[in-house]
Amino acid sequence: MAYKILEGIRIVDLTTVYAGPMGTRVLADLGAEVIKIESPKRPDLFTRMTAYPDNEPPEKENWNAGGYFHLLNAGKKDISLDLGTDKGKEIFKKLVKVSDIVMENFSPRVMDNLGLGYDELCKIKPDIIMVSMSGLGHYGPLRDYYMYMTGMEGMSGLTYITGHADQPPLLSNYAYGDWMLGVTGAAAALTALFYRKRTGRGQYIDIAGREAIIVHIGDVIMDYTLNGRVRERAGNANPDMSPHECYRCKGQDAWINIAIENDEQWISLCKLMGKEELKDDARFSSMEARIKNRDELNKIIEEWTSQHDHIELMDMLQNEGIPAGAVLSMKEVHLNPHLIQRGFFDIIDHGKGVGKRPIGKQMPAKFAGVESFVPKRAPHFAEHNEYVFCELLGMSKEELKKLEEEKVIGTVPRFPPGRPTRLDLIEKQVGKGAGYADPDYLNELRKVFGEDIAKK
Amino acid sequence: MSEKALSGLRVVDLANNIAGSYCAKMFADFGADVIKVEPPGQGNPLRNKAPYQKDEKDPEKSGSFFYLNTNKKSITLDITNEKGAEVFKDLVKNVDVVIEDFEPGKMKEWGLSYETLKELNSKLVMTSITWFGQDGPYRDFKANNFTAYGLGGAKYVMRPTRWPDTRPAVLGGSQAEYTAGLIAYIATLSALISPKVEGTWIDISVMEAVSSTLTGIMADYSYLGLSRRTLPWAIHGFPTQENYPCKDGYVNLTPGIGGTQAIADLIEKPEERENPLLVKAGARVKEPEKFEALVLPWLKEHTKWEITEKAQKLRLAFAPILSPGELPDDPQIKAREFFVKVAHPKMGEVTYPGAPAKLSETPFKEGGAPLLGEHNKEVLGSIGYSEEDLKEFQEKGII
Repeated sequence: MAYKILEGIRIVDLTTVYAGPMGTRVLADLGAEVIKIESPKRPDLFTRMTAYPDNEPPEKENWNAGGYFHLLNAGKKDISLDLGTDKGKEIFKKLVKVSDIVMENFSPRVMDNLGLGYDELCKIKPDIIMVSMSGLGHYGPLRDYYMYMTGMEGMSGLTYITGHADQPPLLSNYAYGDWMLGVTGAAAALTALFYRKRTGRGQYIDIAGREAIIVHIGDVIMDYTLNGRVRERAGNANPDMSPHECYRCKGQDAWINIAIENDEQWISLCKLMGKEELKDDARFSSMEARIKNRDELNKIIEEWTSQHDHIELMDMLQNEGIPAGAVLSMKEVHLNPHLIQRGFFDIIDHGKGVGKRPIGKQMPAKFAGVESFVPKRAPHFAEHNEYVFCELLGMSKEELKKLEEEKVIGTVPRFPPGRPTRLDLIEKQVGKGAGYADPDYLNELRKVFGEDIAKK
Repeated sequence: MSEKALSGLRVVDLANNIAGSYCAKMFADFGADVIKVEPPGQGNPLRNKAPYQKDEKDPEKSGSFFYLNTNKKSITLDITNEKGAEVFKDLVKNVDVVIEDFEPGKMKEWGLSYETLKELNSKLVMTSITWFGQDGPYRDFKANNFTAYGLGGAKYVMRPTRWPDTRPAVLGGSQAEYTAGLIAYIATLSALISPKVEGTWIDISVMEAVSSTLTGIMADYSYLGLSRRTLPWAIHGFPTQENYPCKDGYVNLTPGIGGTQAIADLIEKPEERENPLLVKAGARVKEPEKFEALVLPWLKEHTKWEITEKAQKLRLAFAPILSPGELPDDPQIKAREFFVKVAHPKMGEVTYPGAPAKLSETPFKEGGAPLLGEHNKEVLGSIGYSEEDLKEFQEKGII
């Protein structure tokens, strides 16, 4: 039987940029109906204008072409509504009345200032679940700090323990903190939904991104609360394992992680390297000794790894039962046989100007007996105005037109003019070592995902 | 006891690693009745994982085990033993969820496959968390947090913007595992909420969980052919992303809506407001050392909190880089009563990080971790085993 796990659950989504949209994307992947609200004056700008397909913004409606937006908003519906207007607020309340969950990631003041705080929404729908996601939380002396992913991670302890000892502490570099906040939002929303299903009662949820990150280093923090000891950043070293390092391999910027958990794996590694004498070497004969002489050992191992291709090496090591994993680049992730065979990528058709692109699942769980579905492409700006305002809320098309004239809704967002591809910046940075541009990427993708990828 | 969000839900936790234990911890902390099934003798492997209280290698004093098993009950049971497996089946008849993280095929080997368990309990949700999932070419690969993180694609970008040629560094702690645990919690809960699901087996892969955290940078390849080695914020109009040294540590310089010109006011050099290094993103990317020469002397004379407080008033989103040891005294953390203190029979008073989310009606539950086998009598008694049975099981090493 084909059905979606969260079919019938409706979510009003006020979130923008990364964190919030990530949380609602997870719920959309599970089949919930997510209705994203954007103000015509302030659309979800950053992701809409980042990563235009093949670096060419389409002539028309370039706000619908951003790759980041496509990834973060697949499977959602989109309406435009200016909550700064009285009519906009009134319509918003009508939508809340027929929904289950409201999710937002404005600064803590915003919803109350709009007169749309939890208490107000409760008057309209007493069992509503409202999830607020912010950097430091909705109360407390630092509530109004300006916070991005950088601050949330930096103030969580995670950054402090990440990076090489001789370099500054390192942020995640891929907005992990935002992911954590948004996905914790999804988890909390479902927790409250379970409770509501049983009791009929809704509630308000306050999530601080910083706290959502701290709970993921709980075991590290316990070393402080139990022993007063602060973990310092140590690159790839592990307090309990050695070898435990990221080793350079043959080829351009290729790496492999090897983590030896016990003596048995260590002996296998020595054999594979053709250096059986090492297992009897007093410097390396026990885990304790290997941890102590870690630097010396790493040099010896890297001499060996640097003569091999990282993927071939992983297979060789795995054949001997040694935990080893290549460090995959974004290209390698897209072409990875394991991810592809497991169906991690959905091929989503974005229509004219973009074509079909592989988009990674944001809720990578397989449910036996439940047919999986490919989410619909991310919505165009205001694509579902008619569905939401007319079908769901019973307004007439004339009313819709009037709202458009009054600029309460709109079909054209305020968007920077021109062609902001930022190609020049990307090229400059790639040239400085910030990454690699693969000129043949479309052919690479077509080889594994089919010839019709990116046919615009 | 007040009602919790997941009160009445019954979960069996067989997990040996962090991901599954963390998933089950979320169930327990939000009020489900969670039974941790541990091997008799040594108990769960996390009991043998540092940090230990006062470094005493006592399985009842592991901070890792404590943190990942709050609010659970513990029973000992050897499910690899035939009789033990029978007892386990009796347990499964009465629960809603089983969480396990054994290598693919192990549960089947012990006669405890999902198909078998479903016959005993048609509504059972079984969640299996493995490094690579239940199928695919890597299924039987050996892995741990460190190697799975690199395969997921996250590690390749873990290098400072300033030094992209650096050897990639793993994100601190056990992020691949926690990530998978959070995803497993959401998946399991959604199956329980769905009116349509009549029991299911959920397959979670840690590698895929990591890949699902990559957000935008994933689209860089399928839309631009780009594989990043680092994340240059300048691309997003930010002037800099690095964490800079100051008098007592490091501070992150993310300008936000205050705009980069406000940095001139911060460092008490208003005459630099029009300096291209502050006004033009390209200039800073091109000559980072010049930007550093401009800001570092002032930063080094001020503490991370002095810098942050002043910068925030200028609407700059600067933030201090805090160590795990600085968190308990942080004013915001204190005001939000984030850390929790509970009593433990062997460890005494224990402080640990509390709720990931504050639910107004059904707050997170405060509580400690169980002692090994603490609830044998209660749990096994509740499914009909007498004291004599337990005695016999104990003699045979089944519990």
